[in-house]
Amino acid sequence: MKNMPNLLEIKNLKTHFVSKKNTVPAVDGVSLSIKQGETVAIVGESGCGKSITSLSIMQLVPEPNGEIVGGTILFNGKNLLECTEEEMCHVRGKDVSMIFQDPMTSLNPVLTIGEQLMEVVVHHQKKSKQAAYERAISLLKMVGFSNPEDIMKNYPHRLSGGMRQRVMIAMAMICNPSLLIADEPTTALDVTIQAQIIELMKELNDQYATSILLITHDLGIVSEMAEKVVVMYAGQVVEEASVEELFSNALHPYTEGLIRSIPVMEGERKELYSIPGNVPSPEDFPDHCRFATRCSKAFARCFQGQPNLIQQTETQFVRCFLYEE
Amino acid sequence: MVYSQTKTNMEKQDHLKSLLQVVNLKKYFPMKQGVLLKTKQYIKAVDDISLIINKGETVGIVGESGCGKSTLGRTLIRLHKPTEGKIFYKGQDITSASEDTLRKSIRKEIQMIFQDPYASLNPRKTLKKTIIEPLHAHRIFLKSIDRLNRVKELLETVGLDAIHMNRYPHEFSGGQRQRIGIARALALQPEVVIADEAVSALDVSIQAQIINLLQRLQTDLGLTYIFISHDLSVVRHISDRVAVMYLGKMMELAATEQLYGNPAHPYTQALLSAVPTTKGSKKERIVLQGELPNASSPPSGCVFHTRCPMAMSICKEVVPDVKAIQPNHYVACHLSDI
Repeated sequence: MKNMPNLLEIKNLKTHFVSKKNTVPAVDGVSLSIKQGETVAIVGESGCGKSITSLSIMQLVPEPNGEIVGGTILFNGKNLLECTEEEMCHVRGKDVSMIFQDPMTSLNPVLTIGEQLMEVVVHHQKKSKQAAYERAISLLKMVGFSNPEDIMKNYPHRLSGGMRQRVMIAMAMICNPSLLIADEPTTALDVTIQAQIIELMKELNDQYATSILLITHDLGIVSEMAEKVVVMYAGQVVEEASVEELFSNALHPYTEGLIRSIPVMEGERKELYSIPGNVPSPEDFPDHCRFATRCSKAFARCFQGQPNLIQQTETQFVRCFLYEE
Repeated sequence: MVYSQTKTNMEKQDHLKSLLQVVNLKKYFPMKQGVLLKTKQYIKAVDDISLIINKGETVGIVGESGCGKSTLGRTLIRLHKPTEGKIFYKGQDITSASEDTLRKSIRKEIQMIFQDPYASLNPRKTLKKTIIEPLHAHRIFLKSIDRLNRVKELLETVGLDAIHMNRYPHEFSGGQRQRIGIARALALQPEVVIADEAVSALDVSIQAQIINLLQRLQTDLGLTYIFISHDLSVVRHISDRVAVMYLGKMMELAATEQLYGNPAHPYTQALLSAVPTTKGSKKERIVLQGELPNASSPPSGCVFHTRCPMAMSICKEVVPDVKAIQPNHYVACHLSDI
């Protein structure tokens, strides 16, 4: 997989929210890349900019305040930021599709599941209704429904949370996209249903070589699904590593703290490590290292300037002065 | 092997020793349907649960959404009137006590912390007013200066700065709001605190802060916790004993190490294997098929038999009793009879 070209390459993405009072740099210079068939996870706490990064790829940043002010997003070599709205409409749902945390709010309550699924096929692939119907049925089967014909006739409110999320995945996969963006896909689901969805997404990734950009706050899911992990804090990437490196040798004090602060399912129960303080709000990001005020290893330098992302191994990068020469 | 201690023996146990005890507790919610709004069906949110909570321990209650864990928590303190069964607090039967009696006894001594700290705080009350209110209501500290001092003391206990006393809930972050909720719960020096998904809405790093705070308060103040959560790793971390619920029924109850290390019920086993972990040991996952059945028409026999990978023919017909398979390890499953 190492020699594969990048499917998606984000370089120095900056998405800001502008209000009369101030400018909020929600995403501040994020770079990341995904290869064909690869699963990349973005982890971080609320407000770190992980969801805005994914919305920026789709150019669905909330208008009128949100604006992509810099950077490039190359998808198959084409810069999505230079595309017109019409061109983007052909990318969304066809080449890149997205599933969200809350499947109820992302499905149309007044259309049946069938109508919504078929619409995607008719719109993007210009197929007949009959062909679209067959495609929808086969996708519903693929995501594990035993009675797809009945599901097609149902409205979203008649399905449970897990079933709705499977419908969303079917809808996202219906045009064989090369990239699936999953924004907290299992957060609203129960743990046994979450297990079903994780297994399903892994299967899709194996069978169809669909690349997955997984956005989550749950490190457990990251370790089960991802190959590469990008840790975000306060609008910036603070660490990028392979999943093995991240869990065996996290370099950034924030990543380390995050891993140590989750209660474990096996072994001894010790007092939890906790990172003091709160995530800074984007209005008042400090000029120095954004984690310095909460960092247990901070020294004088950390309060004087912003560290750069430094390469440590072939796949591991860290934004911390501790690793600067 | 089945020990002789069965459910009936559990009832005979001296309920004077325990702090809080429920015996065969049931809470059914009527579903009104049709033009005349006749009650045709009941949702069995809590169905025949017996549980003893001892002083100073933390009992975790886990289960998926809709399993009745929150209803159990609320029925325990009579926020819901139980349909059947008995509740004892310090040996006193509070099952049908009047609201007046409750206010004088358990309302002060059992407090609750909720999931969404923002929704459970009054947006138009400052931090000070929020915390003073229970002191007013129960007429504790007659002088206002004493009350104010108590507020300051409480804020210090939960790690908030007293200079922020005059701020409103929206001016605080999620973690700080949960601290306010905890301070309010502690204002009346309760014996028992029921935490209903108290850390579920918080970010990982904040969650760890609040868990540590709760544990510190327990040691300092000798609190008893009933910790209701869907997060199995958090429950493992904080609880001494854990009860697993499914569709209103208790499936398993055991000491934390025993339950997590040696789960006896197939549902507990599936639940535990479903949790994604960061530790390398990739175990074989038991993926349960299907969804939680509708609570208004639960399956016959064992409520779990429709999803159980080990279901037998008896499971469809006979409701399994809660049995002790070891001292203090209770399971409701026909497999334990074999």
